[in-house]
Amino acid sequence: MKTQTLGKLGLAALAALAWTALAAAPAGAWLDNPVTPVAHDVRALFFKAVGITAIFFLTAQALLLVAVLRFRSKPGVKPATFHENVRLEVVWTAVPILALAILAGPTFTSLHYMDTVPKSDLNIEIIGHQWFWEYRYPKYNVTFANEPLVIPAGKIVSADVTSIDVVHSWFMPDFGIKLDANPGRVNHTWFQVEKTGSYVGQCAELCGVLHAEMRITVNVVSDEEFKRWIEQKRKGA
Amino acid sequence: MEAGTLGRMDQIPAAAHPGAGAKARTGILKWLLTTDHKLIGVMYLWLAFTFFSIGGVFALFMRAQLAQPGLQILRPDIYNQLMSLHGTFMIFFFTIPVMAGLANYAVPIQVGARDMAFPKVNAVSFWMLVPAGCLMLASLFLQGGSAAAGWTSYPPLADRQYSPGPGVDLWILGLHLAGASSILGAINFIVTIVNLRAPGMSMMKLPMFAWAVLVTQSIIVVATPVLAGALTMALTDRMFGTAFFKPTAGGDPVLWQHLFWFYSHPAVYIMVLPGMGMISQVLPVFASKRLFGYKGMVFATAGIGGVGFLVWGHHMFATGIDERIRVFFSAASMIIAVPTGIKIWSWLATIWGGSIRFRTPMLFGCGFISLFVIGGITGVWLAIVPFDVQVHDTYFVVAHLHYVLFGGSLMSIFAGFYYWFPKISGRMYNEFWGKVHFWLTFVGMNLTFMPMHFAGLYGMPRRIYTYMPKFTIWNEISTVGAAVLGVAMTIFMLNILISLRRGARAPIDPWEHKEFNRTLEWTVTSPPPAENFAEIPVVR
Repeated sequence: MKTQTLGKLGLAALAALAWTALAAAPAGAWLDNPVTPVAHDVRALFFKAVGITAIFFLTAQALLLVAVLRFRSKPGVKPATFHENVRLEVVWTAVPILALAILAGPTFTSLHYMDTVPKSDLNIEIIGHQWFWEYRYPKYNVTFANEPLVIPAGKIVSADVTSIDVVHSWFMPDFGIKLDANPGRVNHTWFQVEKTGSYVGQCAELCGVLHAEMRITVNVVSDEEFKRWIEQKRKGA
Repeated sequence: MEAGTLGRMDQIPAAAHPGAGAKARTGILKWLLTTDHKLIGVMYLWLAFTFFSIGGVFALFMRAQLAQPGLQILRPDIYNQLMSLHGTFMIFFFTIPVMAGLANYAVPIQVGARDMAFPKVNAVSFWMLVPAGCLMLASLFLQGGSAAAGWTSYPPLADRQYSPGPGVDLWILGLHLAGASSILGAINFIVTIVNLRAPGMSMMKLPMFAWAVLVTQSIIVVATPVLAGALTMALTDRMFGTAFFKPTAGGDPVLWQHLFWFYSHPAVYIMVLPGMGMISQVLPVFASKRLFGYKGMVFATAGIGGVGFLVWGHHMFATGIDERIRVFFSAASMIIAVPTGIKIWSWLATIWGGSIRFRTPMLFGCGFISLFVIGGITGVWLAIVPFDVQVHDTYFVVAHLHYVLFGGSLMSIFAGFYYWFPKISGRMYNEFWGKVHFWLTFVGMNLTFMPMHFAGLYGMPRRIYTYMPKFTIWNEISTVGAAVLGVAMTIFMLNILISLRRGARAPIDPWEHKEFNRTLEWTVTSPPPAENFAEIPVVR
C-alpha cells in the first residue's frame, strides 16, 4: 500500500466523521436554545469569535494543504532559498493583534454584563453538598434539598452560591451560568429565564465519587404558579 | 543563521578529557551506574514510554466505560482514580520526561559538548523519577486506592476529610520527587547550553531545539518550586493539621488553585515548547529549506515562555474571582496567541517552496501543524471569559487540551522520536509501519477528540463516569477513535521494538541533511561514541 493510498483512506475517514457529527441530533443548550439574556449574549459573542478566528484557521490549514500537495519533492525541481521577510513577519504579528483587539472589546462588555448582578425580583441561595443541591428562598423562609429549583419566568433571579463541603460548580447550560460553589466563600450570579419549562444541568467541578450523579433540575413556571407553589412550600415547612 | 555547520576540528585530543579511555562497563551496571547523557536519555525514553502505555491503557478503560451512558465497566471510584492517574502520568511521567529524554540525548551533542555540565546530577534527576512513578502506581493497590481528585487535586476534596486513604499522600510525594528531578535537570540543561557550547557556537547559531529546551528549562526553574511549595502545604494540611486550604479553619481552597495553576499553566509550555523546537528541526530537513525567520522564532519562544507566567488565572474564570482580574488574565491569554501564531506562520513559510520528502518525521511534523492550529484557535476562544465560563470543566476543555497536548506535544514527540531514532539506536525503523502509525494516529486522534468539542458545547461536564443520554453520539465516536489510537500505538511500539533488533544499520546521516540544516549530532556516528566527539568541533 502506498503512502498516498494511506492518505486518501485517512481523509475519507475524517469526512465520515464530519458527516456523522452533522447527522447527530443537536442536544439543546445555550448554543441552540439560549433562554436568558446572558446565554443570548454569550452565543452571539461565540459566533463573533468563530467568525474572526475562522479566517486564521482556514488560512493556516489551506496553506498547509497546498504546500503539502504542491511542494512534494520531484526530481529536477530545486527548493526555494528564501528564509526571511521582515515585512511578512510584521504583518503576521500585527494582524492577529488587531483581530484580538477587535475580539477583546465585546468580551469585556459581555463579562461586565454577566458579572453585574442587577436589582432582582427574587433572591435564592444555592448550597452544594456531596452530592446534591440545597436551595433556600430567604424572603419566604423556604429551604429544601434534592428536588427541583422552581423560579418564575421573566423575573430577574439573583443567586448566592456556596458549598458546605468540597468545591462544586452550579452549571446550567441553557441559562449560560456556571459558577463555582466554594466552601467558605459566597459567589453571586443572576438569570432571567424567558421561557417556562423544565431545564437540566449538573455539577461541573469534580466533587467525589458520585460527581456524575449530581444533577440539577430547574422548573421555570409562570409568576402565578410560582406564587401558588411557594405558598404551598411555606405551609408545608 | 541556524545551526552552524561543522568547521575545522579543534586541536584538543580526546585523551586530554578526564574519563576518556576509562574501562567501559557492560551489562546492567552499564545502565545503573552511567553518567553518560546518551544512556540517561535512553533510560528517560524507556521510562516515559512505559508510563505512556500505562496512562494510555487507563484512557482506553475510561473510553470503554463512556462508550454508552450507564455502563458499569468501572466503578465510579475506580473511574476517578484512573482519570486522575491518566492526567498525572501523561503530564509528569510521560510528556515532561520524554522531552527531557530527547533533550538529554540531543542537546549536549547539538551544542558540541561531551556531556551535560553535571553528569552525576543528571543521573540523580533520572533516578528520582523512577521511585516517583512507582509510588503513584503502587497507590492504586493500597487500601482506598490512588489519588482520585483529578490531576489538579483541588482541596477540600483532596484533603484528608474527603480523601482519607494514603493515595493523595503518595501522589504528593511522587510529584515532589518528580518536581525535584525536574528542577535539578533544568539547572543542568541551562548550565550546559549557556556554558558548554563549542567554540563558535554563538547563541544565535544555537539549533532551534536547544533554544526551546533553554526556555523550557528556565520556566521549570521558576515555576516548579511554587508547585513544590503548594504540595508541601497540601501535605501538612493532610498530615499535621495545618489549614492553608481548609475553609473550616480559616484557610482558602482557592489559594491552592492559584498556586497550582501558577505552575501548571507554564507546565503546558514546558510540555509543548521542546516539541516546537523539534518541529523547527524536522521541517527544514525534510523540506530542504532553511528555517524561516530564525530570530523571530527565538523571540517567539522566549515570549511564550514569559507571557506563559501571566495567564494562569484563565483556569479559574468560574471560581468567582474579581472581574478586573479576569479582564487581565483574559487579555494576557489572548496575547499569547500572537507569538504562537508567529511560529505557525514561520513553519508554513519554511515548507513553502521547499522540496518535501514525506518520511515519517515529516508526516508527524505536518500533522502537528494542522492539529496544533485547532488547539490554538480553541485556546483563543477559551480566553474569552463569557465563553470560557460556558465550557469550563466540560468536554470542550478536554478536547482543547488534547489538541494541544496530543495534537501538539505528542505529534511533535513522534516527529522528534522518529527523527532521532536512527541516531539513538543505530538502526532504521520501518518506514511503512511508521506511516501507518501516523495515519492511524491522525485519524484516531480526530475521531477521539473532535466530538468532545460538541459534547462540551452542549454541556457535558468532564470527569464524570456516566452521562445524560443526549451526549451518547459524541461519546460513541470518541470511543471508536480511542480504539483506533490503541491500535496505532501498538503498531508504534512493535515497529520500534522490532526495529531495535532487526532494523537496517543507520548511517551517520540517514536524512541527507543539507549543509545549512545539519546540526552536530548528524556529524558523528549512529549511535555517537562515548563523549560524542573525538575532538571538540569548531562551529563556523
